Amino acid sequence: MGRPTLLALFEVKRFLADRGALAFSIALPIVLFALMVGVFGGDTSFNSTAHVADLDGGDAARKLIEHIEDVDGLDVRHYTEAGLNDALDRSAVLTGFVIPPGFTDALESGTPATVRVKRRGNGGDAGQITAAIVQGAADGLASEYELRRALGALVSEAIPPEQVEAHAGVLLGDARRDPPVRVVTQTLNEQAEEENILDRLLPGVIVMFLLFSVTLNAQTLIEERRNGTLERLLTTQLSTGQLFAGKFLAGVSRGMLQTIVLLVLAFVVLRIAGPVALAQSAVLALVVSAAASAIALVIATAARTEDQATWGAVFITMFMTVFGGTFFPIGDSGVLELLSRFTLNRYAIDAYEGILSETATLGDASFEMTLLGGVAVVCLIVARVLFRVSSEAK
Amino acid sequence: MARMEDFLAATGLTKSFDSVQVVDSVSFTVRSQEIFGLLGPNGAGKTTTIRMLSTVLDPDDGDVTIGGHLVARESDAVRKLIGVCPQELALYPELSAIDNLVFFGRMAGLSGSEAKESAADVLERVGLTDRAKDAVRKYSGGMKRRVNIAIALMSRPQLLFLDEPTVGIDPQSRNHIFDTVLALRDEGLTVLYTTHYMEEADRLCDRIGIMDEGHIIALGTPAELKAQVGDAGTTTLEEVFLSLTGRSLRD
Repeated sequence: MGRPTLLALFEVKRFLADRGALAFSIALPIVLFALMVGVFGGDTSFNSTAHVADLDGGDAARKLIEHIEDVDGLDVRHYTEAGLNDALDRSAVLTGFVIPPGFTDALESGTPATVRVKRRGNGGDAGQITAAIVQGAADGLASEYELRRALGALVSEAIPPEQVEAHAGVLLGDARRDPPVRVVTQTLNEQAEEENILDRLLPGVIVMFLLFSVTLNAQTLIEERRNGTLERLLTTQLSTGQLFAGKFLAGVSRGMLQTIVLLVLAFVVLRIAGPVALAQSAVLALVVSAAASAIALVIATAARTEDQATWGAVFITMFMTVFGGTFFPIGDSGVLELLSRFTLNRYAIDAYEGILSETATLGDASFEMTLLGGVAVVCLIVARVLFRVSSEAK
Repeated sequence: MARMEDFLAATGLTKSFDSVQVVDSVSFTVRSQEIFGLLGPNGAGKTTTIRMLSTVLDPDDGDVTIGGHLVARESDAVRKLIGVCPQELALYPELSAIDNLVFFGRMAGLSGSEAKESAADVLERVGLTDRAKDAVRKYSGGMKRRVNIAIALMSRPQLLFLDEPTVGIDPQSRNHIFDTVLALRDEGLTVLYTTHYMEEADRLCDRIGIMDEGHIIALGTPAELKAQVGDAGTTTLEEVFLSLTGRSLRD
C-alpha cells in the first residue's frame, strides 16, 4: 500500500474519531433533509379533518357525514357537543360543525334545516375550506330530500312508496356517478407538476454538505502546518508530492464516505431508485468528491490562517450552493444561469437528478463528469503550485 | 572539512526570508555519538538551521552532509538516517499514542509489523506503555512531550534532532527526558539538541554551539566555553551565554 493511500486512510480514521465532524457531515444533512421533506415533500393536495358533533343522530345526519367522508383528503372526527366546545376553547380545533337535533325531521318535512359552524377567529384556511365542503355536501343532501319529496307527491297511489324510494335512489346514484355539471381540472405546467422536488433537493443537500465538510477541512491543513505535523511528515520518507496526493485522496475518501452513507440512507428510506442508480450515483460521487477535495486544497494552500481558510470555505460553498440551484431551479438564461455555470453544484445536481430519477445514466452525464473532473485537475495543479510557494515562504 | 567521525557537517549555511538574513554562513560539525547543543536567544536562527539540516528547508547557500550524504542531493537517504522532534507538539491529539506512532512509523518507511514493534519499544522507552491506547489529548503536557520524542525515534534514526524538547513540563518529565537522551547517546545515537535552559545544556551536551543573530559565535565543550569567560570551575554556562549574547531583551 502506497504512502498516499496510508495517509488517506489515516485521515479517514481521524475523521471517524471526530464526533463533531461526523455530526456535521452525516447527521446534520439527514436532519436537514428530513425537515425539507416535511416542508416541501410528500402529497401537497388538501388534507383536513371535519370536527363534527352529531346531536340529531337521524338518517339525514348520517348521510351528511357519509357525504363529507366521501370527499378526498377529508376525514371526519366525531365529538359530543361539550367535547367540541372544549376543543374549540383550547384552540385544539379552529372550526367545528354541529348537526342540531331535528335536522333529519326538518329535511324530511321540507322545513329549513341548519348545520351550525363554530369557529375560532376566521377558523383557519383549512377550516374555511372544510366549511365550504360541508356546505356543498349539505346542499346536495337537501336536493336529494327535495327530489324524494317531489317524487313522492307526484306518484299515484297505485305505486308503493318503497318503489318510489328505490327509483329515487337509482336516479340519485346515476347523478352521483355521472353528475349533470362536471368540473374538470386542467394542469397547464404538467411537466413541472410531475417533477418531484425531492429529486433535486436530495442531491442538492448532499452536494452542499459534501462541499461544506470537505472544504472546511482545509482549515485543519492550516492547523497541521501551524502545529508542525505537515513539516514533520516531510522529514520522513514521504515526499511533498506524496503528502499532497495523500491529502487529496483523504478529501476524496471523506467525501465518498459521507455521500455513500447519505445515498444509501436515502435509497433505503425513500426508495427513490434501484441499485443501478445507486451504483451510478456512487461513481458520480467519486468525481464530485475529487473536485471538492481539490478545491479544499486550493483553499488550504492559498490561506495563511485558519480563519482565512474557514471563511474561504464558507464563501465558496455558500456561493455554489445558492447559485448552483440547490434550493430552486435555475432557468435557461439570465444572470442566475450565468452565475450557476461557475458552480460545481449545478453540474453535480443535474447529473444526480437524472440518475436518481432514472431518466438518465452516467453516459448521459458525461459532460458533467468531464467538467467536474477537469475542475479537480485544474485545482490540483493550482494547489500544488501554491503549496510549493507557501512552504518556502514559511 | 568534515572528518571521519563527523556525522553532520554544515558549511556556510545561509538563509533569508523577505530580505531578512536569518542564518548567515553557519558552519559546524556534530560528531558521531555525541550530544551537540545549539543554544541561542529567541530569533537567533536555531530552528531555521534545524529545518535546513532536516531537509525541510533549502538553504540559499551552503552545504550540509549527514552520514556521508549531501542533504541537497540525497534528501531521501538523509531522511532514513534522521529523526526530528520539533519544538511544537507535532502529533494528532484526537488519536492514541500508538496510532500516532504507527502512522509516523509507516510514513518513515516501516512495514505494518515493524511499525507496531517499534511503537511498543519507544513507548516503553518513554514510559507510556500503560497509556498507549488513550487519546493523546487526555495526556499531561509532559506525556505529550514524551510522545513527541517517541515519534522521532520510531524509524530508529542515527541522528536525532531535538528542538527544545523540555519546554513547559514538570521536573519529573524533564528528568525522564534527560535520562532518555543520555541513554540514546550511550546506545550510539548522535543528538543535536536545542534549548533555552543552560543547566540542561551543561548537564547533557558534549559540545555546544552558541548562535546569535544568525551566526555561530562560540563553539566548544561546556568547560571550554566557560574558560573563555572566566574560571571553568566556577563560571556557569548562563554567565557564558549572557556574556556572549549580551543582556538586552530579544524577540
